[in-house]
Amino acid sequence: MSNESNRPAPAALLAMGGSLLGLAFGIVSTTDFAAHLDRKVHGVTCSFVPGLLSSEGGANACATALYSPYSSLFRRAVWGGVPIALFALGAFAFFLGMGVWLWRANVAGIPRSVRLAFGALGMTPALVSILMFTISMTKLGAVCKVCSGIYIASFLVAASAAIVLKGALEEEPSGPPVLAAGATLAVILGAMTFSPAAVYAATVPDFGTYVGGCGKLEKSEEKHGALLHLPTATPTKKALMFVDPLCPTCKAFHEQLSSEGIFDRLDPTVSLFPLDGSCNWMIDAERPVHPGACVVSRAVICGEASQESRAILEWAYEHQPELTAAGKESPAKVKALVAARFAKVSACIDDPKTERRLHQMLQFAVENHIRVSTPQFYLDGQRLCDEDSDLGLSYALRRLAPEVLP
Amino acid sequence: MKNPMTLGLATGAAALAIMTGVVVSRVKAAETRLNEPDKAQEAVAVADHAEEAYCTPAFKTVLQRVLNACGLVGQESRRGCQPGDVKTFASIDDDDFNALFTPLVKRGGIVMFDEGKEDIDDGARRLVEQKWGDRKGARYFFIVARASKTGSVDKNRSLSHRRANSVQYFLKEKTNDPDLDSQVGMLWLGSEFAQLGKDYCETWENSRPGQKCDTDAVNRSAFVSWVDCRL
Repeated sequence: MSNESNRPAPAALLAMGGSLLGLAFGIVSTTDFAAHLDRKVHGVTCSFVPGLLSSEGGANACATALYSPYSSLFRRAVWGGVPIALFALGAFAFFLGMGVWLWRANVAGIPRSVRLAFGALGMTPALVSILMFTISMTKLGAVCKVCSGIYIASFLVAASAAIVLKGALEEEPSGPPVLAAGATLAVILGAMTFSPAAVYAATVPDFGTYVGGCGKLEKSEEKHGALLHLPTATPTKKALMFVDPLCPTCKAFHEQLSSEGIFDRLDPTVSLFPLDGSCNWMIDAERPVHPGACVVSRAVICGEASQESRAILEWAYEHQPELTAAGKESPAKVKALVAARFAKVSACIDDPKTERRLHQMLQFAVENHIRVSTPQFYLDGQRLCDEDSDLGLSYALRRLAPEVLP
Repeated sequence: MKNPMTLGLATGAAALAIMTGVVVSRVKAAETRLNEPDKAQEAVAVADHAEEAYCTPAFKTVLQRVLNACGLVGQESRRGCQPGDVKTFASIDDDDFNALFTPLVKRGGIVMFDEGKEDIDDGARRLVEQKWGDRKGARYFFIVARASKTGSVDKNRSLSHRRANSVQYFLKEKTNDPDLDSQVGMLWLGSEFAQLGKDYCETWENSRPGQKCDTDAVNRSAFVSWVDCRL
């Protein structure tokens, strides 16, 4: 074999390069996901250099993507679901093999019908990437770098497929029937795509024993009637939530419940638990976790009279960055922002009765010996473990309250 | 391996096997960690009552003794402490006893009574309601009743007991709170222990603002306050 014939054709190079890149980013994404199976908090890799940078606490676009409902499939059956990236691993392994075949056969050495089939199948990762990119932009508002690496890899494979397809279309028909070749390759691609997912699903630990093992409410009723009941479309299951309107995790949890259609099937009661020392004695007043949260919590309480509590809470979640920035300056600035949007509650925010009711909610938290952290979610008095409030939510709810799942 | 197709298949299969192996090893590693305690979770504090700066060891010692001896802790059927008890368990002299409560000057109030009477008037009701409602993070509510020096020791002891009860009954009636008994600590000191000085008329909020207040008047009283201490 001459040196010239040893040099891979551009199509083969693109297929192999794209596949190797896809495998690298895919394994990073999958291992990040699998690390969470220990039900602990982990950093999430977010870099164009796979595995180079990791963000503890998850405050990056890759964490947003990972914790979103779009990062995995079959979440009700498998705790956390089967990560989408696993399917990519199988597919890129297939296309790596195809790239090697293209290289060693110098492209033209492969039957035309097989090249046509590769040309068509090679587009599928790019189509999936376009779908996932659209979801990232429209649903998550962020594009993670690791995901982008997979998108780029997909387009390299698609470019290879386009080159091979073009060459095959220019030739006269020959070799085995296109349909047979296409079906064979599709079956192999399908088998390789699903096999890592099947192995993963068969390997993950049984989390059934962990769900619901995080304690119960000691007192389900607040004796002064201080808790807030939020209206929902079809309330089917009593739920109690300790939330802080300026807590990002509460926001993410609420959005997840809402986007999955769960929130409107709950019959939710809210006990506000602002992590702000200006009203919460459990927080150092000099170092509030969420400054301004006391003012917003009082506004949520005040919204009850005009049936705006849910609207105020959701507005606060939506405007957390502005409200938190204002809270760092002064409570008056937070109040001004709230009053500008919800004029009816303005006078009530500073009413001593409102403050008293907020304290009663905090006392309710004390009576129940809850952890000083938010959110905390109880279904019929049974606490949903923190570990089950994001990736494992559908799995846990299927076991604790299947009726709230749409 | 000369056949390009076989080489391609082998490469794809090898890549798949390696990737699957890595994933499985990560899943198994996570499973191993699953039963290890989560230090991050263990470090999270549990919601508790307030603990203000005035909760000094001396204050908490008295508080603990009051709670133990006056029926708030445990299953004792008796409620409240009388002067003899206080002297014994507090092991503290009058001035030091009163000084312990000085930091509560913005938190507490003095409910005033007519001479020889235990009935609470409208001002007293307002003050008790206001102080009770301003609980914040406190765990215990204290009623410390006294009597002026007028009259015999025994009569004053009994009178201060009735005054403490008046405040407690009012709270029971007003709040209908089933947990009241586990929150309210009562002491009645008669006229024989820890009498208040006239300065309490000026420095403490009382239920009869603008009315004559002297040493006798300020001791015909029940001091009420939430106490922001953990025990």
